[in-house]
Amino acid sequence: MMKWWTSNATNPTEVIDGNSSFEETIQKNILFTNMESMVAWGRKNSIWPFNFGLSCCYVEMATSITSKYDIARFGAEVIRGTPREADMMVIAGTVFIKMAPVIRRLYEQMMAPRWVISMGACANSGGMYDIYSVVQGVDKFLPVDVYVPGCPPRPDAFLEAILLLRDQVGKETRPLSWTVGSQGIIKPNKVSMKDLQGPERLKMTEIRDPDKI
Amino acid sequence: MKGITSILKDQFLDVILCIQETKDEFPTLWIQGNHIVDVLHFLKNEVDLPFKMLYDLTAIDEQARKFRNGQPESRFTVVYQLLSFERNAFLRLKVPLTSEEPSLPSVTSVWPAANWYEREVYDLFGVKFTGHPDLRRILMPQTWVGHPLQKCHPARATEMGSFQLPDSKQEREQEALQFKPEEWGLDKNLGGDELMFLNLGPQHPGTHGILRLVLQLDGEDIVNVVPDIGFHHRGAEKMGERQSWHTYIPYTDRVDYLGGVMNNFPYVMAVEKLGDIEIPDRAKVIRIMMSELFRISSHLVWYGTFAQDLGMMTPVFLMFNDREKALEVVEAICGARMHPNWFRIGGVAQDLPQGWEKLIQGFIDYFSNKLKEYDKMIMQNSIFKARTVGIGVYSTEEAIEWGITGPGLRATGFEWDFRKKQPYSGYEQFEFDVPTGKNGDCYDRALVRIEEMRQSLRIIDQCLRNMPEGLYKSDHRLTTPPRKERTMKDIETLIHHFVHTTWGLAIPHGEAFCGVEATKGHNGYYLIADNSTSSYRTRIRSPSFPHMQFVPEISKGYSIPDLMAILGSVDYVLADIDR
Repeated sequence: MMKWWTSNATNPTEVIDGNSSFEETIQKNILFTNMESMVAWGRKNSIWPFNFGLSCCYVEMATSITSKYDIARFGAEVIRGTPREADMMVIAGTVFIKMAPVIRRLYEQMMAPRWVISMGACANSGGMYDIYSVVQGVDKFLPVDVYVPGCPPRPDAFLEAILLLRDQVGKETRPLSWTVGSQGIIKPNKVSMKDLQGPERLKMTEIRDPDKI
Repeated sequence: MKGITSILKDQFLDVILCIQETKDEFPTLWIQGNHIVDVLHFLKNEVDLPFKMLYDLTAIDEQARKFRNGQPESRFTVVYQLLSFERNAFLRLKVPLTSEEPSLPSVTSVWPAANWYEREVYDLFGVKFTGHPDLRRILMPQTWVGHPLQKCHPARATEMGSFQLPDSKQEREQEALQFKPEEWGLDKNLGGDELMFLNLGPQHPGTHGILRLVLQLDGEDIVNVVPDIGFHHRGAEKMGERQSWHTYIPYTDRVDYLGGVMNNFPYVMAVEKLGDIEIPDRAKVIRIMMSELFRISSHLVWYGTFAQDLGMMTPVFLMFNDREKALEVVEAICGARMHPNWFRIGGVAQDLPQGWEKLIQGFIDYFSNKLKEYDKMIMQNSIFKARTVGIGVYSTEEAIEWGITGPGLRATGFEWDFRKKQPYSGYEQFEFDVPTGKNGDCYDRALVRIEEMRQSLRIIDQCLRNMPEGLYKSDHRLTTPPRKERTMKDIETLIHHFVHTTWGLAIPHGEAFCGVEATKGHNGYYLIADNSTSSYRTRIRSPSFPHMQFVPEISKGYSIPDLMAILGSVDYVLADIDR
């Protein structure tokens, strides 16, 4: 285990134990790992999102970039205006039939490895809009890695999606080159947050009184 | 003063088919289609105190309507709604069309602003307008078959088969989106010089949503801008024909999605007009307070993103923080941030929570001095001024000609605020000023909005100090089911309670329009009830639609960076354009 001498955010002048020995210096500077894990670690900690939004959800996605939520904490603040430089596309909003070919074109312009977050009820399933001009879920024509429920989801919920995606990206194995190793992408199984958090949620017995603030 | 109905009777007696009574008490006249251009020309140019604004143009598919009460026979009815500022009055003209393949003379010769409205009616109803310069679909894809607002067109996507996007369809749709100057009525040359075309959007960070603009350029100079809209068409009007009166409210939230409860406002008031529902004072003041809070929150998003469009990075972070403060209050009161769905027909969903005064006071204290700080940072910044002063200029006359309302109209120096001129929900009892600009440029539009935030804060403060006691929702039989205790005592009440909570209320047949001074401009709902549990026709007259149509007029001759300033200063929301 590598030993980091990071300072404490609340106490930057804190004294850190150590003796600056050769052994310690080596521990701080040398890491043994394999190439795959190293690359996955890099990928998961710097996901570059595509600056792309469809409707209301995009406003909440943009809010997650601003100070109170601060997406930079998770290394995903490098918003790119062009799909060619982006790793991740957030389908933030309603998927319109008129827009679907454009969305697909933009997705195809992203370079692999690429990921898709479906943000909000509309992108997940059409949501409230079972109407002639709306595609009933973006997964009708794009592969989706993480679904975020809500209409629109709070910025916090979007940040949780980023964390989930980070986990997935970190566990993904991809070929390192077109000649070395197996060539397929192995993605971890998607987790159902309902199953995962259900027992904890069921323990909640008190619901906030709407008459109080 | 002679009423407009009698003036029209004197002038066009043979042409008037019928005079209809409506719940909103607007004069409503049925006119023969072949004379509509003359009548509109007369109303705009010749009559005393003219109707200068084509406020709305839409249609009704009459084929399934049951209660028409002596209205002339019609298959499709085209509705023109005009606004006279001198008279401070609306006027509605209706034209019956009996053919299955209806057509009507275009009124673009009288109002160029009719252009997009007629295209919309053609697209959604299939009514053709003869003499229209460019009658193409506007909201639906060019490859679409059918006209969605016809009663025979399916409403649900799930009725239309699963959506698939095979490569062949992808290619076909991409081909249909290709820009061909000839088809769009644009020349490739200007005075011997070859022009350049630039495609902006539908995905572009500067367009604030999925909007496509094609720029016709002579070097850096914009010769013309052609907006291509409809990428955000969510069928909100068709939705109204299927949802019950109450369950449509959440859909209104999502029309101008930055305006929150402000969108509920005109809808519930229009329904209340149809049902003759009086609402308690407390509900009125709560509505005003929350709407003004949303006006501030919406303007803050505009302020931050506008500054960002012009290259300033910091403001957007500060303003989104302030918006968070406003949304925290909204959340504590309504339980949601952006789409609270909080107004109800007859009042609001719930009474204010205990301790709301502290929250509102907290926001007022917090926000009061912020704007002064931003004035220094943005409005007095020389680069910001250089980018906005004298850019995108238009006059009051032009604004009225093109149907511009809200801050965009007031920035030209014309003091017209519907909260003052046609007060609703008790606005007449509040003290606030109507800020105006002088030059009608991007800078003045910004000034007006910033001052509006200060005035909104004043209104919120007055709401806080003068909140009436009493009910938060009317006890009218249409709005509120009978009290639960009583349902256990007699069968009649039980039945009413059951019907009310399962089917919802049935609004008596009639027509009503109601509009409010919303965040972007005047937002109105024109509803037709047919003694049913849902609306027969819901028309949303959103302000951003005419504002976007006006953008080419005010962008010509400027450069591309100026266009970004103009788009930012117009302050539109895509869902408010395409609905």
